Amino acid sequence: MSRLRGWSVAAVAAAGTCGCNRIQSALAPAGDQARDIGTIWELMLWICGSTYLLVLVALAFAMLRGHGDGHRVAGERTIERGLAGWVLLIAGLLTVLTAASFAVDRRLHATPENPLKIQVTAKQWWWQVDYLDPDPSRHLTTANELRLPRDRPAEIQLRSADVIHSLWIPALAGKEDLIPGRENRIVMTPRQTGDFRGQCAEFCGLQHAKMALDVQVLEPAAFAQWRNAQLAPATSPVSASARHGERVFVSAACALCHRIRGTSAGGVSGPELTHLASRRTLAAGTLKMDRGTLAAWLADPQAHKPGVDMPAVPMSARDREALVDYLMGLR
Amino acid sequence: MDHERKRYLAATLAMASTCAFAATPPVRGDWTMAPGDYANTRYSGLREITRANVGKLSVAFTFSTGVNRGQEAAPIVAGDTMYIVAPFPNTVFALDLSKPGAPMKWKYQPTPEPAAQGVACCDVVNRGGVFWEGKLIFNTLDGKTIALDAGTGKPLWTTRLGNIHIGETVTMAPMVVKDKVLVGNAGGEFGVRGWLAALDADTGKVAWKAWSTGPDKDVLIGPGFKPHYASDKGKDLGIATWPPDAWKIGGGTVWGWISYDPELDLIYYGTANPGPWNAEQRPGDNKWTAGLFARDPDTGQARWFYQFTPHDLFDYDAVNENILLTLPVGGKPRKVIARPERNGFFYLLDRATGQVLSADPFFPVNAITGIDLASGRPQYNPEKQPATGRTTRHVCPTSAGAKDWNPSAWSPRTGLVYIPHSNLCMDWEPVEVNYIAGTPYIGAETRMYAAKGGHRGTVTAWDPVKRKAAWTLREDLPVWSGALATAGDLVFYGTMDGWFKALDARTGKLLWRFKTDSGIIGQPVTYRGPDGHQYVAVLSGIGGWPGSVVVNNLDTRDKTGGGGWNNALPDLPQRTAPGGTLYVFAIPDR
Amino acid sequence: MCSRFRTASAVALAVLLLAGCERERREYHAAPTQAPGTQPRLSTLQPGADQATPASAIGRHYENNAYHVSQGSKWYRWFNCNGCHGNGGGAIGPALMDARWRYGGSIDEVHASIMDGRPNGMPSWRGKLTDQQAWQLSAYVRSLSGNVRKDAVPSRLDGMRSTPPLTQLPELDPEGDDPSAHTVPQP
Repeated sequence: MSRLRGWSVAAVAAAGTCGCNRIQSALAPAGDQARDIGTIWELMLWICGSTYLLVLVALAFAMLRGHGDGHRVAGERTIERGLAGWVLLIAGLLTVLTAASFAVDRRLHATPENPLKIQVTAKQWWWQVDYLDPDPSRHLTTANELRLPRDRPAEIQLRSADVIHSLWIPALAGKEDLIPGRENRIVMTPRQTGDFRGQCAEFCGLQHAKMALDVQVLEPAAFAQWRNAQLAPATSPVSASARHGERVFVSAACALCHRIRGTSAGGVSGPELTHLASRRTLAAGTLKMDRGTLAAWLADPQAHKPGVDMPAVPMSARDREALVDYLMGLR
Repeated sequence: MDHERKRYLAATLAMASTCAFAATPPVRGDWTMAPGDYANTRYSGLREITRANVGKLSVAFTFSTGVNRGQEAAPIVAGDTMYIVAPFPNTVFALDLSKPGAPMKWKYQPTPEPAAQGVACCDVVNRGGVFWEGKLIFNTLDGKTIALDAGTGKPLWTTRLGNIHIGETVTMAPMVVKDKVLVGNAGGEFGVRGWLAALDADTGKVAWKAWSTGPDKDVLIGPGFKPHYASDKGKDLGIATWPPDAWKIGGGTVWGWISYDPELDLIYYGTANPGPWNAEQRPGDNKWTAGLFARDPDTGQARWFYQFTPHDLFDYDAVNENILLTLPVGGKPRKVIARPERNGFFYLLDRATGQVLSADPFFPVNAITGIDLASGRPQYNPEKQPATGRTTRHVCPTSAGAKDWNPSAWSPRTGLVYIPHSNLCMDWEPVEVNYIAGTPYIGAETRMYAAKGGHRGTVTAWDPVKRKAAWTLREDLPVWSGALATAGDLVFYGTMDGWFKALDARTGKLLWRFKTDSGIIGQPVTYRGPDGHQYVAVLSGIGGWPGSVVVNNLDTRDKTGGGGWNNALPDLPQRTAPGGTLYVFAIPDR
Repeated sequence: MCSRFRTASAVALAVLLLAGCERERREYHAAPTQAPGTQPRLSTLQPGADQATPASAIGRHYENNAYHVSQGSKWYRWFNCNGCHGNGGGAIGPALMDARWRYGGSIDEVHASIMDGRPNGMPSWRGKLTDQQAWQLSAYVRSLSGNVRKDAVPSRLDGMRSTPPLTQLPELDPEGDDPSAHTVPQP
């Protein structure tokens, strides 16, 4: 019995501390929209929690009250008044909740001023992120990472290329579905710099669980610097091995699905790789970005993320080494 | 007046009229370049065949090219020889017109790569050669320009310009201006970056090459570039109006017609659609595609540019013919370009500056609501805005345009431009597309069908001064042949099921027709034979983009097959089989 | 009586549910490639006495697997097959949904055409597609002419409807007698 109690205490403690990471937590808002949602969540928690406690207290009172007084029942008037009061209280609280919900909903969907326009297209099972610009030559395409400047609202158009996905970056905003054939929209205004994590929140197939989005909020100057660096074409390979790796990339299967600007590889069905090595994760958050994991991923993507559309392209070990050298140079 | 004076006056008048008569140049009897002349009028002053006697027109001789693919070429006639360039494998035939039956004088068989057939979007056609100073110059499908000795057929020089491994081919009829052979590429459907090159006519060496996208130094835009409209002014717009690197696979090929004005010393030609067809993959105006360049023929430097269809949404190539005319506009005679454009509007542009003087629809267009003359820009209909994964219905005109490459003709006698064209609309669905060199870079599904009226083709006689049609003639099938106008007040054209027709140029009444053995998509020409009589020649052989359903045996259960033509022409395989024969007509027993 | 009915229906339900288990395996890793020596010939003409080329088991395996056929339909669009062959009706390249085959219409021959390319314009995809992708594509191409089991064929695409649903196509045997099996509808 005591062991059971010990286990249950541990379980509750574990569950309780789950929300303590600040990278992917709706309880640790880092942006305006998440804060608004957090505010209404807390309001609901307090109102509903206290109402629930009240109900429990009343139930306990009813259960535990003895029958010592015989059959004394409260008068009709008292009951009526009590019920009326309770109904008024509940109606009042519900009205408060409704009004608050409506107000937050309007704030979440307000048109932002001078937003940073981004387009996210969900594909099974990765995120294509496009930074839009009225100057088309500054249109930037990247994958699986979202970098945002602090204090500027980002208006994100959401599209899907295949099935329904849902974007959820809990530290910054709520969930919004990406539905094929339809364009949805979400606004996020980050207020703290730092690293956050988003993920797909609508079951979308075999690898739904490994469809994460690496989110970084930067100071505006750092963001501008990052964006300009990303617009540049791919770094030319320097070493002989990396040059051979570029040849392998362009002449083998890779170029059919992936684009590296500055080479003839122009596929858009797979993630853009022009600045692959500047990202922190691989395969939508499945693996860390480093030589070892990249080599393992190239050797057999199906071993790490079975069902993904990238095949294990047969090539010699030397070619794969060269390819890894080339790709790791794409900062 | 006394007698002496009268006689003196009569003699002077007689001499003056004789001089005037002598000074009138004789009517040109040859056809040395596909468009007929530098102004691209496709008009002949020959008038032996008239409205009165065309009913007697009959076959003088025929000639089989031996290739049953789309025959888009114009027969070239110089002296007493006719030169035919056949579709792939691009054999060139020289026929001796001075002998009965026009026997073959020589033939030349180039060896273009067979794999080129796999990267030719619209059948393995060739639009003809050009005769210049004793040479016959033509292009092969796999991108070689070859000059032959016109007397013997021996090759004088060969220059390779195209690379089939990136999907590049050459189908256009070259043009020679001031000893420079002008050649442009094809392959906008394969993400091929377009160019126009000038080769020295004697040696074949490349004198200059003007790209259609990219930095100003590639596009040959320099200090002499003076575009009329603001949106064409700026530095390196061939890069700035594209997402990064997209201009390298941006299209803008030059597979259509070239005109030349000797007085202004400018060549005029259009650039084709941007790649891919899915416009969402290339935000921006996408210069310098779907527009018209005026260039100096000696250096290739651009003088002006006008973009008919910025950020093209529906494959509106701008490679149509530029007819150079002098017309009264606003009361004064202006040197203009008259252009029935792919997007369904008939444009008049000032050919010195590139200003649009008028633009009126000659077809019921709904993709574009109008052309704003102040900015020169078309106003796109927001109801027809396409989006990836979404089907936009009933877009008019189709990706083949209100009128495709098949050229119209002008008659100075009637003042009308005779436009052979289509009457079709389409459903259009853009899809995401990968760029893989050597494979199609399209990204759109289409399905075509008849527009308002139910007929699929029209011949429109357009009055460019009154800015409206004088008459129109409905055709069941889309008209994909060129037109020819003659001083006999006749207009010749062919239908896709093989009828070669002569219309009264003034009224559009059908005066004569002849059923050839296969659909006609070629360019009719007329010439004066060695015997002094007038002949009309046309190649018969279905094919081309719409005719692929016949020559490639397509399955019409797939409505999007053939680039959307399968839905519009399911009956074509019943109405014509492939062919490849030259027909030459004349009035018999003169 | 009541309990026997209950047992019987429970057993029937269990059988029905279990029938769905493992009906098809999804192979993410490539199946072993074809053993050398069983390459399809390009010509049926053989000097001397002819030997039949056995149909490979690997092709049949891919043809009967819904996952592979569905992946093939994805590659068909990713690798621009639809740019030349339309949605089976053809365009620059020949139609794939009829019974007319220049280079053979069995899955082995289609696979060879894809990998080797063909002289009049079909590119060679060897070294670009993995062998599994090529088999998946070949299986999809076979489905366009009705030669794949109806329960393995992908359902209709979500986009603009272009062909009759693949589940309703008649089976057009490449060796069959009547290559013009389809009728030409009026415009």
